[in-house]
Amino acid sequence: MNTFAALYPLLSIVVGALVVLLLEVFLKRKNRDYLAFISILFLLNAGRECIRVWNQGYTYFDGNLQLDNLALLLCLILTLATLLVILISMKYLRLQNVNFGEYYALLLFALSGMIIMVSSTDLLIIFLGLEVLSMSSYALAGLKIEDVRSTEAAVKYFLLGSFASAFLVFGLAFLYGAAHSLDIPAIVNFFRADTSLSLMALAGLGFVIIGFGFKIAWVPFHMWTPDVYEGSPTPVTAFFSVGPKVVGFAVLIRLFQLYWSESLNSQIVSSSLWVIAVLTMVAGNLLALRQRNVKRILAYSSIAHAGYLLVALLAEDNSGLVFYLFVYLFMNIGAFTAVIALSKKGTEYLDLENYKGIGFRYPWIGATLSVFLFSLAGFPPTGGFLAKFYIFASAVHEGFIWLVIIGVLASLISVYYYLRIVVYMYMHTATNDIEIDAYNPALFLVLFLCLYGVLQMGIFPGNVLIIIKQAVASLPIF
Amino acid sequence: MELFLFILLSILCIGAVLGMIIVNNQAYSALFLVLAFSCTAGLFALLDAPFIAVVQIIIYAGAILVLFIFVIMMVDIKEGLTPEKKKWTMALACILAVVLLIELLVALKSALSPMATSVSGQAGNASEIGHLLFTKYLYPFEITSVLIIAAMVGAIVLVKKKDSE
Repeated sequence: MNTFAALYPLLSIVVGALVVLLLEVFLKRKNRDYLAFISILFLLNAGRECIRVWNQGYTYFDGNLQLDNLALLLCLILTLATLLVILISMKYLRLQNVNFGEYYALLLFALSGMIIMVSSTDLLIIFLGLEVLSMSSYALAGLKIEDVRSTEAAVKYFLLGSFASAFLVFGLAFLYGAAHSLDIPAIVNFFRADTSLSLMALAGLGFVIIGFGFKIAWVPFHMWTPDVYEGSPTPVTAFFSVGPKVVGFAVLIRLFQLYWSESLNSQIVSSSLWVIAVLTMVAGNLLALRQRNVKRILAYSSIAHAGYLLVALLAEDNSGLVFYLFVYLFMNIGAFTAVIALSKKGTEYLDLENYKGIGFRYPWIGATLSVFLFSLAGFPPTGGFLAKFYIFASAVHEGFIWLVIIGVLASLISVYYYLRIVVYMYMHTATNDIEIDAYNPALFLVLFLCLYGVLQMGIFPGNVLIIIKQAVASLPIF
Repeated sequence: MELFLFILLSILCIGAVLGMIIVNNQAYSALFLVLAFSCTAGLFALLDAPFIAVVQIIIYAGAILVLFIFVIMMVDIKEGLTPEKKKWTMALACILAVVLLIELLVALKSALSPMATSVSGQAGNASEIGHLLFTKYLYPFEITSVLIIAAMVGAIVLVKKKDSE
């Protein structure tokens, strides 16, 4: 149904960003927390609108904006991620002296870009949404103006991100030249009808994959990830590690859902993605072994997880992929929340040495961080185990035996560096005094919510799976 | 009249590009580039493409040139390339220029062939583009406004002075 109501979730976010920008002028510096609460109100409203139009299939702008169930579910996931990130930012921003009111506006703008991306099938609009997301991200990465590493992160992200955007546009131009349309259904139909292997279309698709591969951080395009994740303010890192991955895979789900076939171009793309998946899983996990900075460890771990997600994409397991994204949201934001909790004014404790004895000194942080790390490594009964299990099972079913063997071996490697943090927390005696004062009710709430999410999806995944199945069922829209 | 304008603009354009290469001062080079872009815009206008002509001036002669001049002011390269390096860049430039010439000749050959199709007169029409922008491409147009706000806010946040506690 073509109705203005389809615009409500997006409108709520954009209006929220503008209201925050306006109010920032009138608020005193110590009252900036109100901006966070206002943003949360608008986020909750957007979430409510998403739930209200579930199963309605609203569209607007001649179908350029499509709120099918998958788009709605992903909007909800992204809104939830942003909400958690805002909750963990409030205290952090004050302690680390990055207390800008614009921070919340930029987060909301980034979220609006992501919602634009997941709710359209037109690659032109998806590209514009990606640019909205990227522009806000570049600024967010550099917010710690006094910290050289943060500025380095912003510059690096900006330069490499612009390159990736250029690749994407280049690819879109080729695809338009070949398929005479940028609408995903038209492009996929073109590829399915194309028996003679059109080089132009294939090159275009390749460039588009490279552009998204950069945002998702697949291995040949991952160089920026550790530095940007390390330099950015930690809540922003949590946001980067979840948001762009979710939207990148959402677009790829739409692009590839009916694409795989016996034709030559499909074989070529499938085998190159196979290679990328192997590289991403192996290199991400191997490089993480050498790191001693917790943020860098989590950065490499997020690269490795992008590899597992790619396995799901190759195995056409869309519901498994969305489930993995859902679990990944909780465990990754949870882990970053614990890292944020271990900080005091002007200092963050990021080196492994600082984690000695934390488990006994701060039992809550230690215990929850351990659960999130176990989940990231894929131990039962956490959500991380089930997510990996579903993906690898469907990959075996589709005949990707070697891919699964490599994936399982890679996740065995990952156990070492995840558990090393746990070992440092519980099996070393504390050598230095760690004072923390970042522990506040909002962080506690987020830790609890993430813990609940990880365990709920590890033990009783049924309800979530039903919703995801409904969402994915709305997928073949052409 | 048209032929006269064409020849005038072409000579001016080629002269401006030559001046851009020969002049030693980078700021003058950038200004010569403005002249070259403006002449190209004039050539587009002669080809009945007013929209592309205006865009050429706004984007190339306006936005991109401002960017160039900013970079020239910030980087401030006093001495040019060393003679050793200059030889290499000259050789590379010659090769690339020959490649470009061949490419242009091939393109020209296919463009002049009787099979070539010409773009319809509507393509460069500003009102046609405006109509499409506010009907078929309304959503991308609106998204662009959000994009510009986000970019502006981001830029201001990064450069503004920190207010004291």
